[in-house]
Amino acid sequence: MTAPPQVVLSVTPGAPDPGPEGGGMFHALRTLLVRLFRDKPLGAAGGVVCVLFLICGIFANLIAQHGFNDVAMLHRLKPPSWQFPFGTDNLGRDVLSRCVYGARVSVIIALAGASLATVISCLLGVVTGYVGGRADMLMQRFVDAWMSFPDLVILIVVVSVFGPGVPTIVCTLGLLFGIGGSRVVRSAVVGVREQTYVHAAQSIGASTGRILWRHILPNILPPVIVLFTTRLGGAILAESALSFLGLGVPPPAPTWGGMLSGAGRTYMFQQPWLALAPGLCITFVVFSTNVFGDALRDLLDPRMRGSR
Amino acid sequence: MSSYVIRRLLALIPTLFFASVIVFVTVRLIPGDIIDLMLSERDISSVQLSRDQLLQALGLDKPLWQQYTHWVSGIIFHADLGKSLWQGIPVREQLAARMPVSFELGLMAMIIGLTIALPVGIYSAIRQDTATDYITRSISILMLSVPAFWVGTIVTVFPSIWWGWSPAVEYVNFTDDPLLNMKQLLLPAVVLGMALSAVTMRMTRTMMLEVLRQDYIRTAWAKGLNERLVVMRHALRNALIPVVTLIGLQAPLLIGGAVIIEQIFVLPGMGLLLLDAVRQRDYPIITGLFLIIGVCVVLINLLVDLSYGLLDPRVRQR
Amino acid sequence: MPRLMTKVWMNVTRSRLRRAVTLVVCALALGAGLGTVLAQVKKPQYGGQLNIGSAVLAIPALSWDSADFNWKHNQDTGLVYEQLFAADLAKAKRNGGKYSFIPDGWLPADSVRGELAESWQWKENPLRVEVQLRKGIMFPEKPGVMKARELTADDVVYSYTRLDKSPKKISGYFDHVEKVEAAGKNTVVFTFKNYNAEWDYRFGWGYYSGIVPKEVVDAGAANWKNVNGTGPFLLTDYVAGNQYTFTKNPNYWDKETIGGQANKLPYVDKIVYRTIRDESTWLTALRTAKLDILEAVRWSAVDELKKSAPQIKWAKYLSTATTFLAMRMDTKPFDDVRVRRALNMAVNKPEILKSYFGGQGVMLAFPMHPDYGGYYEPLESMPPSVKELFTYNPEKAKKLLAEAGYPKGFKFKVQITAASPEADLLSLMAAYLEQVGVTMEIQPLEYPAFLSAMTTHTNAPGYFMTTSPTNPTTTLRKQFVKGQQWNVSMYNDPEFDKKIDTMFGEKDEAKRQTQLKALTREVLDKAPYSWLPTQYAYAAWWPWVQNYGGELRAGAARPGPIHARVWIDQEIKKKLGF
Repeated sequence: MTAPPQVVLSVTPGAPDPGPEGGGMFHALRTLLVRLFRDKPLGAAGGVVCVLFLICGIFANLIAQHGFNDVAMLHRLKPPSWQFPFGTDNLGRDVLSRCVYGARVSVIIALAGASLATVISCLLGVVTGYVGGRADMLMQRFVDAWMSFPDLVILIVVVSVFGPGVPTIVCTLGLLFGIGGSRVVRSAVVGVREQTYVHAAQSIGASTGRILWRHILPNILPPVIVLFTTRLGGAILAESALSFLGLGVPPPAPTWGGMLSGAGRTYMFQQPWLALAPGLCITFVVFSTNVFGDALRDLLDPRMRGSR
Repeated sequence: MSSYVIRRLLALIPTLFFASVIVFVTVRLIPGDIIDLMLSERDISSVQLSRDQLLQALGLDKPLWQQYTHWVSGIIFHADLGKSLWQGIPVREQLAARMPVSFELGLMAMIIGLTIALPVGIYSAIRQDTATDYITRSISILMLSVPAFWVGTIVTVFPSIWWGWSPAVEYVNFTDDPLLNMKQLLLPAVVLGMALSAVTMRMTRTMMLEVLRQDYIRTAWAKGLNERLVVMRHALRNALIPVVTLIGLQAPLLIGGAVIIEQIFVLPGMGLLLLDAVRQRDYPIITGLFLIIGVCVVLINLLVDLSYGLLDPRVRQR
Repeated sequence: MPRLMTKVWMNVTRSRLRRAVTLVVCALALGAGLGTVLAQVKKPQYGGQLNIGSAVLAIPALSWDSADFNWKHNQDTGLVYEQLFAADLAKAKRNGGKYSFIPDGWLPADSVRGELAESWQWKENPLRVEVQLRKGIMFPEKPGVMKARELTADDVVYSYTRLDKSPKKISGYFDHVEKVEAAGKNTVVFTFKNYNAEWDYRFGWGYYSGIVPKEVVDAGAANWKNVNGTGPFLLTDYVAGNQYTFTKNPNYWDKETIGGQANKLPYVDKIVYRTIRDESTWLTALRTAKLDILEAVRWSAVDELKKSAPQIKWAKYLSTATTFLAMRMDTKPFDDVRVRRALNMAVNKPEILKSYFGGQGVMLAFPMHPDYGGYYEPLESMPPSVKELFTYNPEKAKKLLAEAGYPKGFKFKVQITAASPEADLLSLMAAYLEQVGVTMEIQPLEYPAFLSAMTTHTNAPGYFMTTSPTNPTTTLRKQFVKGQQWNVSMYNDPEFDKKIDTMFGEKDEAKRQTQLKALTREVLDKAPYSWLPTQYAYAAWWPWVQNYGGELRAGAARPGPIHARVWIDQEIKKKLGF
C-alpha cells in the first residue's frame, strides 16, 4: 500500500501548500473556485446564495428599505406590491425588510453556533479518539452523561436562567451540537488512527500534536466539513424550533423562525406571503449551506485528488 | 468481549449517578419554583403560612441531600420514582403510559429514515455527479431544509381544507388496536423520518465515497468482481461506522425530543410530558424521566460501540 | 241535492254558522301554531358521542382531588362531582333569559339554582344558612371503591371538612365559617362568624366545591380510576395529555323540561374532552368534525372557518382575558400618576381596537367585565378623567411627561412571558411609546419564572400580562390590596384596603354594587395599568349539536352541567355526511 499524500490544499489553516506550482494560498484558492464552478454547479449556486446571505446579514441596515419595527397599522396585511415586495405583516411592517434583518440574526446564530459546535466537536473527538485508553473512557462517560440530558431540559434551564436571546441560544446550540458531534468526529478519528501512515509517523517519533495536526485532522476533514455545514443549517432550524416553542429570540427582533411560527401560521390562509417569505428564506439558505458543504467536501478530499 | 460489555454496564452507574445529581440540583435552581406556581393559581393572598404549608405537604422543605437520598433509595429498594407534585400520581405510571408512544414513533421514524437514506446514499455515491445523484440529493436536502413544525402544519391543515380529512386526534393504544395505532403514527413518523433521513443519507454518501476510493476497492474492481459484491461486501461495512454513530445520535432525540411532532399530531409522548413537567416545575417527573432516558441513551450508545467491533475488525484489536 | 244543501245553508242562522266557522278556523290555526311551536322545540334524541374542545383544551387534566385546591378541578370533574349550587340554564340567553354564562368565577345571585340543594334559608342568631338537600340522589356503584348509596348531609359536611383540613388549603379561605354540621339526614347548616359576600363562591358553586364521598377518598382521591360522584357521567378513561372520557350514568337523578315534557338526563352516551395544544391542530379538528364543540376560537380564525366549513354554528362572546402593561407604583418613574396616565394616552387604543382587533372587541373590560351585570359600569358613563385614558392623545402625554420631569422620555424594562401570544401587542405598544420618547427594554421570561417575579414582588417596573377577572369582589382585592400576590403594580392605599373589607362584609347586594363601582372608578383613575382593549372570541359547534348556545360555565370553571344537557340530532349528522 502506498502512503497517501500527506497534506491537503492550503485552504486548511496552517498547512503549507504542497502543490507542484508552489504559488501560495491565493493561487490554491483560485484553483478551488475554478473547480467549484466548473465541476460542481449546484454547489457553486449554493455558495453564491451563502455569500448573498452573508452580505444581507452584514449590511442589513443598508439594504433594507424600512426598519424592522416600523409599525404602520394603516398598511397592515397588504399583499406584495412595488412598495412592499413581500407584503406587510399584521402590524403593517414590511416583510422584506424584516427578512433582511432576520438574515442578520440568522447569520450570527448560524455562524457562531456552528463554529462553536465544530470546535468543541473536534477538540473532544480528536483528543479522545486518538488518545484512547482511560482518558477516552472517562470522556465517553462524560459525553454519555451529557447526552442523556434531553436537549429540552438544557435548553429550558439555560433560557430560564439567562433569558431568551441570541447569546444564550448560540452558546446552548454550540454546546449541544458540539458534544453530540464529538462522537462522529471520534469515530472518524478511530477509523483513521489505524492507518499505516499514522503508524509510520508514530514510529519515526513525531510528537502527538504534530500527528494530530498534520495527519489526523486533515484526513478527517471531509466529515468535519459536512458536520459544519449541517450545523449551519441545523442552527437556523433549531432557532425556528425554539421560536415555535416560544423560547426563541424575543420580539420585536425579526427572526425567520419567529415570523414563520408566529404570524406565518396564524394568517397562513388569507395572507400566505407572511409564511412564504421567511419559509423560503430558511429553506433556501439551509439548502444552500448543505449543498455548498457537500461540494467543498468533494473538492477538498485529498484522496479524491487523483481520481479525476 | 463480554468483559468489555460488563465493564461498560458497570460504568453506567457512576455516569448516571453523576448526571442525576446534576439534574436534581439544576432543576431546583431554575427561577420560578413550584410553590409560586401553585400559589399563583389561588385567588386569595398567599401569606407565608400557605407557602410553608405547601412546602411541607410536598416534602420540599427538607434539605436537598435528604430529598435526593429519599429519591434514590426509593428507586433502589422499591423501584419507585416518586409521585408527581401536581397530581400525586406515581411517576412510574406516567412514564409507563408515555414511553411506548415515543418508542414506537421513534422506531417507525428511524426505520423510515433508514429505508430512504441508505439506498439513496449508496446510490448517490456509486453514481456520483450524475443527474440522478443531483436530483436525489437535492430532494433529500430539501426535506432537511424545511422546519419540522412547518411540514407538520402543512400536512395536517391543508388536507383538511382540500379533502376534509385530518389526522386522528384520539390516541389509540397499540395494545387496543394495533392497526389503528400504527395508522395514526404513520404520518408523524414519516414527517420525522424524512428529516432524519437527509442527515443519514449525506453521511452515508460521504463515507461511501471515501471508502470507494480506497485501494482495496480498486483491487476488487481490478479483479473484475461485480459491482454489487464490491459495494455490499467490501465498501458498505467500512463506510457504515460513522453512519451507525449517527443513528446512535438520533435515537435519544427520538426518545425524549420529538416535542414539536407530538404537539402538532396530539401524541401523548415523553417529549410533551417533559415539556409540561418543566413548565410546571414537577421535579419528580423531570428527574424520573431523565433517569429513564439516560439509561436508554447509554444502552443505545453501548450497542453502537459494540457494533464498531462487528463492523471494523481493526477496532476489535484494541 | 244541491237545492237541499242550499236550503240547509239558508236555514242555518248566519251567526251560528259564523260562530262555527270561526271556531273551526281558530282551532285549525291554534293547531297549526302549536304544531309549529312543537316542531321547533324538538324532542331530544338519546345516544351518540360528543367530542368537546373546551376553552382550556390546551391544558391537560391537572387534578382529580378537590383538596388539591386546583382551579381546574371543576373543569376536569364537573360531569362527575356535583355541587350544592350551579347555574340555572333555563335563564341562559338562548332560552330567553339574560345570562351568557361566560365568566369564569362568577354567578349572579339570581342565576343560581340548587343542584344538590333543594332549598336554602338564611337565619339569624347565630348567622347561618340552612340547606335542604334533594332526596334520593344516589352515588353509583364503583367496584372496589363503594357500593351504590344515597347522598346525605354527612357527605357535604365531610367534603367541607376535608377541604378545611387540607394541607394545601388557601389560608384564610374559610375564616368566616364557624362550623358546618348535619342536622338530620338531608339538612346541612353552615354557621358563620360574620357575613362574607363570597360565601357561596367559596363553598357552593366555587372552584373546589365538589361533593366527594368518603369511600373515594379512602381508596385514593387522586387516582382517576377512583373518581365517583352523583353527576350525570362516570369517568371511564383517561389518556394523559390526550383525552378523558365520560360515560353516561344510567341512574342520574335530574330531568330537564323541554316543551312541557320532562326528559331524563343525560342524553348522549359518551362525552370526550380532548386535550390539544396546538392552535392549528384544534382548528383543523373542528373543521373535519373531529370536535363537535370548540369553545374558544379566536376571531381572526373565524373567517377562514366560515369559508371551509360553512355549516358550523357560531356564538360570539367577549373574552374574559385582558392584556395590560402593569407599572410598579413604588419605583421611579411610575410613582408619579402623571407618568402612568401619559403611558395610557400615548398608546393609540382606538386604532388597536379598530385595526389590530378588526373592530372585534371592547375598549375596557377589566377589572369589571360587561357580563358582571350590576357590578359593571360602561366606559361611556365613567367620569371624564377615566375616559381620557382611553383616547389617543400623544401631545398631552408628552406634556404630562414633561411636567413630571421627563421631557425627553425615559427607558424602562418590561417583562413578558416568553411564549406569549400577545407579543405582537407589546411590539405595537413599544412602537407607540417610542413616539413620545419612552423606550421599552423587553425581557422575556419563561412562564414560571415570569409568574414568580410577580408573586415574590421582584418584577420589573413594566410587567406585560394577560389575565382574567375572577369575580367582581375577588378581582379588586387580589389585584389592588396591599401585599396580595397578584398585586403586580404594588398598589398601596390603606383607605382602599379598608373599603374593600367593608364591601366584603356588605350583605345588601345593591349597596355592595355601588361601593364596588366607586372603587373601580378610583382604581381606573389612578392608572396603575395601561389597559388594552379586550377581544371577542367565538364558540363553535356543528349543527347536529342541540340544546347548546355557546355557554361556557355553570359554576367556577365548570362546564359540566352545560355539556350534560346537549343532545345529538343523528339525522342532521347523517345528512351532512358525517
